[in-house]
Amino acid sequence: MLVKRGIAVSPGVAIGPAWLFGAERLRIRHYTTKSAIDAEITRFRNALDAVCVEIESNQTIANQQLGEQYGAIFGAHLLMARSPQLSDEIERLIREKINTPEYACKQVLERYAEVFRNLGNQYHAERAHDINDLQSRLLRHLLGKERQELGDLSKPVIVLSRNLTPSETASLKREFVLGFATEEGGPTSHTAILAGALELPAVVGIGDFLSEVESGDKVIIDGNRGEVIINPVDSVLAEYLESQQKFRTNYAALEIERTAEPITADGERIQMLGNIEFPGETEHCLERGADGIGLYRTEFLYLGVTKEPSEEDHYNAYCEVIQALGGREIVIRTLDLGADKVPSVGVHHPASTNPALGLRSIRLSLQYLEGFKTQLRAILRAAVHAQPGSVKIMFPMISSLYEFRQAKMVVRDVMDDLDESSVGFQREVPVGMMVEVPSAAILAEEFAAEVDFFSIGTNDLIQYTLAVDRGDPAVSSHYRTGDPAILRLISMVVKAAENHKIPVTVCGQMSSDPKFLPLLIGLGIRRISVTPHAIPELKAVLRQLKIPQCKDIAVHSEWLGLSRVIDNYLQGELRKICPQLGR
Amino acid sequence: MGGQSVVRTVTLGSDGGGLHLVPCSRLVKLANGLTCNVSVRKGTIHADAKNILDLMVLAAGPGESLELMTSGDGAEEAMARLVRLFETNFAE
Repeated sequence: MLVKRGIAVSPGVAIGPAWLFGAERLRIRHYTTKSAIDAEITRFRNALDAVCVEIESNQTIANQQLGEQYGAIFGAHLLMARSPQLSDEIERLIREKINTPEYACKQVLERYAEVFRNLGNQYHAERAHDINDLQSRLLRHLLGKERQELGDLSKPVIVLSRNLTPSETASLKREFVLGFATEEGGPTSHTAILAGALELPAVVGIGDFLSEVESGDKVIIDGNRGEVIINPVDSVLAEYLESQQKFRTNYAALEIERTAEPITADGERIQMLGNIEFPGETEHCLERGADGIGLYRTEFLYLGVTKEPSEEDHYNAYCEVIQALGGREIVIRTLDLGADKVPSVGVHHPASTNPALGLRSIRLSLQYLEGFKTQLRAILRAAVHAQPGSVKIMFPMISSLYEFRQAKMVVRDVMDDLDESSVGFQREVPVGMMVEVPSAAILAEEFAAEVDFFSIGTNDLIQYTLAVDRGDPAVSSHYRTGDPAILRLISMVVKAAENHKIPVTVCGQMSSDPKFLPLLIGLGIRRISVTPHAIPELKAVLRQLKIPQCKDIAVHSEWLGLSRVIDNYLQGELRKICPQLGR
Repeated sequence: MGGQSVVRTVTLGSDGGGLHLVPCSRLVKLANGLTCNVSVRKGTIHADAKNILDLMVLAAGPGESLELMTSGDGAEEAMARLVRLFETNFAE
């Protein structure tokens, strides 16, 4: 039995067979035997030949489909693969250190990748990816496994992986996935968001552990405690089967809360909205009694596809949500992706070394106006089917007033265009912004005078303010939601919103966490947008709260000053307010 | 004319990506077709021009100067072809 700890990002317990995703990097034996050396050299040479054939056929297809400019890249990869220096080094390791070909390849190619990564120039550092690609190809051929897609699953499994990207999970079939566990990732990683949206248990940021698991091993994911147990002994398994049942019962009890009104014990109505990535999730929100959609993350339209979504693709998705909502509000956030992830643009912009600070989101939209206008046109056209003012546009990552004004001007331009071509669209569309870049929070007063609403994106606000990579497990302890600096910024934004009489919402994992609810309400927040499955629990807590109590908690938290202490304090207060929520 | 060495300095264009993946591969292809030795120097680092990994590690960027050296049979003619490759910005 092996117990691994990580970050619990989606609650619940899942028990099932392990399914290793991205297997080619995992099961590598380091040593072979002296007598097998010649056979292993032959195996390596055969794999290398196969890889070269593969690259050549990729090159032919690329030349045909994309032109010789792209095909030439494969030509360069072929030269790398055929480089005598490379194969000499690999064969030397096999002969002298008795390494398996796969381990020898891994060592040599990772060393090269490291050399490239350390080159000062960003472009050349990117070449590490080309080396990794070559390593992947070689390992696939040496380990004899075809790359499995998540769409290939045919029975329910627990997905274990180094990491899960949106394009990898795009083809996932929900009925065959019981839960997730990844080596990398943090509370706001894609895996966390996906698991939350699918309401499946997940643990991330475990660190290296995949080489210790075989596909088919029995695995328990404890999404409450953040543990992954591999090959549990009978007593532990029995314990978990029992607690799995208990969790289901608790959750069912909370379900009764779902249709209750989100109102405090002293009658203050809080708007509880839902976060969605796909139109289909609107139902989950409505089933939980959400007041609307506070954040529609539209980037999923761009992921797992080879062509950018057309205006009709956007339009259809938005109409689907609007129709399902039946008049409730919806806030559509425009594209919030890095340039490297957008199909037509990605060719010119390989992934930057600092993606969170690079060409992404609104900056990208303002630079590639055609794509931006396509999305805006679709939103304005779809909004015709909704109540005036219920469909709202929100810009992500706004860092300056000039940027906001520019983006707003594009909306007006699009409206003019639609007018000129006599296409029906909704004029009354509030335009607001995400407050996630610290500059936006600091100048909240100035922004509040010009935007129709604020939405505080705590995930990125915390990342940028505390300078913590939210996807890096090594610094996950530095990612402090309850940090006094964050609380101060939230207060500033609330105050500015109050002064200018505009609504302010908190979206982001902070608002989905019940222990922060009293604090947020005490700071003046009256609108939150959360993962749908958190709604019943949040309502249960909300209905126990009184406004003066929340204000006290907020004041006391600010006085406490230290984030870790604040967390413990809030946890304690939550237990007093809602004893049945034992986490 | 064996045993001869020829040295020339070339400068990479200021637009474009410098000696990146595709130009490297064109240089390597040309160099491998020559009988003489071909090496490239950037600062204190030498690279064998017949070896793409070596060349890539040079990380020669736009506007940078490189020293080419050919030695052995046909060194003069080889250098002429190499210089032309740089001058035409690695056109095929």
